Amino acid sequence: MVTVTINVNGEKRTASVAPETTLLKLLRETLNLTGAKLGCDVGDCGACTVIVDGKLVNSCLMLAGQVDGLDVLTIEGLATTDRLHPIQKVFEEKGSLQCGFCGPGVIMSTKALLDENPNPTLYEIRDALAGNLCRCTGYTKMIEAVQAIAREGTLERTTAKSA
Amino acid sequence: MDTKTKVAEKESSLLDAEELMRAPAGAPLVPFPLEVRVTEAGRQTPAVGQRAIRPDARLHGLGQTKYIDDFYLPGMLYAKIKRAGVASARIISIDTKEAEAMPGVMAVITGRDIPVNSFGPSLKDQPVLADERVFYAGDGVAAVAAVTEQIATEALDKIKVEYEELTPVLDPLESLKLETPGVHAPSANIYGHKIIKKGDVEKGFAESYRVFEGSFRTQMVEHVPLEPHASCATWDANGRLTVYSTLGRITLGRSDISRTLGIPMSRVRIVATIVGGNFGGKNEITTEPVVALLSKKTGRPVKCTFTRPEEFLSSTTRHPLIMDYKTGVTKEGKILARQIRLVLDGGAYCSWSETTLGKACILSAGPYVIDNLYAEAFVVYTNKTMTGAMRGFGAPQVCFAYESHLDDIAKALNIDPLEIRMLNALREGSLSPTGQTLHSVAVRESLMQAAQRFGWNEKGNGNGAQA
Amino acid sequence: MKAFEFVAARDSQHAVQLLAEHAPSVRVIAGGTDLLADLKFSSHVPGVVVDISRAHDLRTLAITDEGLSIGTLVTHTEIMRSPIIREMFPALVDAAHTIGAVQTRNLGTLGGNLVTAVPSMDSGPTLVALDARVTVAGPAGRRQMPLTEFFVGPRKTILKPDELLVEILIPKENLGKPTHFLKFGLRKGQALALVNVAASFWVDWDRNVFVAPRIALGAVAPKVIHAPSAEAYLEGREITPDAMAEAGRLAVGDAKPINDFRASAGYRRDMIAVLTKRALEGAYALAQSKRKKT
Repeated sequence: MVTVTINVNGEKRTASVAPETTLLKLLRETLNLTGAKLGCDVGDCGACTVIVDGKLVNSCLMLAGQVDGLDVLTIEGLATTDRLHPIQKVFEEKGSLQCGFCGPGVIMSTKALLDENPNPTLYEIRDALAGNLCRCTGYTKMIEAVQAIAREGTLERTTAKSA
Repeated sequence: MDTKTKVAEKESSLLDAEELMRAPAGAPLVPFPLEVRVTEAGRQTPAVGQRAIRPDARLHGLGQTKYIDDFYLPGMLYAKIKRAGVASARIISIDTKEAEAMPGVMAVITGRDIPVNSFGPSLKDQPVLADERVFYAGDGVAAVAAVTEQIATEALDKIKVEYEELTPVLDPLESLKLETPGVHAPSANIYGHKIIKKGDVEKGFAESYRVFEGSFRTQMVEHVPLEPHASCATWDANGRLTVYSTLGRITLGRSDISRTLGIPMSRVRIVATIVGGNFGGKNEITTEPVVALLSKKTGRPVKCTFTRPEEFLSSTTRHPLIMDYKTGVTKEGKILARQIRLVLDGGAYCSWSETTLGKACILSAGPYVIDNLYAEAFVVYTNKTMTGAMRGFGAPQVCFAYESHLDDIAKALNIDPLEIRMLNALREGSLSPTGQTLHSVAVRESLMQAAQRFGWNEKGNGNGAQA
Repeated sequence: MKAFEFVAARDSQHAVQLLAEHAPSVRVIAGGTDLLADLKFSSHVPGVVVDISRAHDLRTLAITDEGLSIGTLVTHTEIMRSPIIREMFPALVDAAHTIGAVQTRNLGTLGGNLVTAVPSMDSGPTLVALDARVTVAGPAGRRQMPLTEFFVGPRKTILKPDELLVEILIPKENLGKPTHFLKFGLRKGQALALVNVAASFWVDWDRNVFVAPRIALGAVAPKVIHAPSAEAYLEGREITPDAMAEAGRLAVGDAKPINDFRASAGYRRDMIAVLTKRALEGAYALAQSKRKKT
């Protein structure tokens, strides 16, 4: 067993799991954070996307032991008790999601993009979302949502430490 | 205070209490929704033309939508299915003893354990688990329920299956020949046949300025929903089964589960939640009877989720089509006669092939006025992944064929591809290939509007030139 | 995924110790983008996985006396953002950018890409074209070799189970050498290469000729290879579009592409000629723009 302590969505959690447990399984099965999804388990679809130590990653491609002591931000860490994260709000208004399965991954990728580049070009948006596959929407309204958020310029930079 | 109550009291440290009080990391500590959203469309009439927010958008954005794989029932076991890995074979024996003896394995079942081992939306030719014969490499031959997914997967390796391999039939044109051994012998491989006949094609060809022939093929396509197939079964002490499933058609699902398990439909409850993409691929049962039987055997809830490789191998796909077209036209490009032969690769089991056959055949003529038409379509068995429902049910494939064919004809006759379509397109009151009078026909208007928006005529696209 | 043990290395020395301790049934995990994808559905897993992701001495990126030294753990994203690499070798930035997507580039390492050694690897051709050398650490110490000797064949390098790739070096004499990389895949994102080409050469501006030309091809042989016929042809030859086109045609003969479900050998051959010519054009354009600056 490996014992892992992570700062997930601003809260410290410790878990003891089998060494081959991926970060994705740790989040979903041990910590009950089911927002990150298992779509392919090999890093192709992006449904498992989370932010570790400020970097956007496929959580299915990290072992639990590798995140010991690190900050992990998941979809559950974006909204607060009194408001949605701006990305969630605009995605809702634009109708960017249909079945919703790819949603958490796409939203995390969008957050990583806008945290670093508040005014991305169309190419930069497509490049940033290239690791998130969607079979329902054709991506158009997601891209429109990202452009709308960039235009509004009201994005708050939330970090892993704030809840 | 008596002893029993004393034993029941437990001293918990402050640390334990803190652990108990914790919500899952990141979950807000107030109940949802953050605010109740009332869409404009709900308040106004008429709703058409008003902006409406999807009701599920809030939960999707928050990552709070619960899909089948997201929830857990106490005591739940995990099931995995062993896949044949061989396209055509007789099953000589299955030895599950070693798998059953593995620590953590709670039950193993094979085809023998299925009360009625056949189902299907039309032909009931599909087994829940292959019993005596394997008809494609993704056929399930055994299933394991274990305390973890890892143990269930490892147990599959321990199941020993002895196969007598047979020669598979893989080419649908090969399968079409009557001499080819039947995949589901003793009957021949053609399991669906449709003819649409209108007017007199031979007369039409005789009157044509030129007759063109073209042959087109499309490939097998997998839906690849982001969410893999998943189901979870649990029974109550009254013998009622509840199955949580990604299944799209739950009424049909209840019927199939009732049939395969040999229990009345009134004892079957299906709960289908928000699905992570279907597109036709989740239209019939896959793992549901398996988890139901494993749950019955173990007395615990059992969940089974497809891996992504299983999605490609063992879930239904779009029919590959081989389409042969013969069209007779006037010098101006007006279609006088069309003859079509379609061969649908019907995979190992029927699934939704009969519906697909029907739609493909009816739509194969294209949205054009054709007075003399002969369309014949076959669907044949092959030893490949089942072909079933996928959005369009045969329409996309024939569309590729008849539009490509018409472009070829336009090019050969030196006619603008838009003009040839305007000439032949269906109009208000035209008869469909099956003799139905069509109304609200806007083909020509749509083509003209599209041409305007694309700037078709400005780009010098006349005479079949490409943009 | 089947069960294995997990141990974390503090630094490269500790990593080598752990590998020796647990060899031969041991694998290294850095970014995990290749290893875990392989192990997820595999029937065989190593007994132990050694995590080197915390070994900070393997993360260095600096110009040394020997040249540009890149630590094995430098990720593709870090390569794309490194001011040194952006200035000196935009081809490395381009190559890194063609790998996977943001998520995989944040995890995937340069060393990992080389160690997995698929013939279609995206980081290999540019490094081969720049005569890169690699350092391998083992129980007996460290040794250096040309990158071309590091690769043995598809998914095979000279590494033994108790050895670790620690450093990639672009030699001093090649610092700033104009290089261009092109990848041809079935898609623009998350695609495997059908053909990879990197071209690198100095320009003798007085005579306008190719100096020390190098052409490296990927995905068209069991490992990343040079195109020696094309290189020999270009050395000392005047730089013209015709010469570049001819080099492209000669490069085809140096390659051994296969037919597979992604593309036919014939198609790959056609693309080798096209991409080689374009890679040479790109390197020349870079040389010209650098010259204007100085």
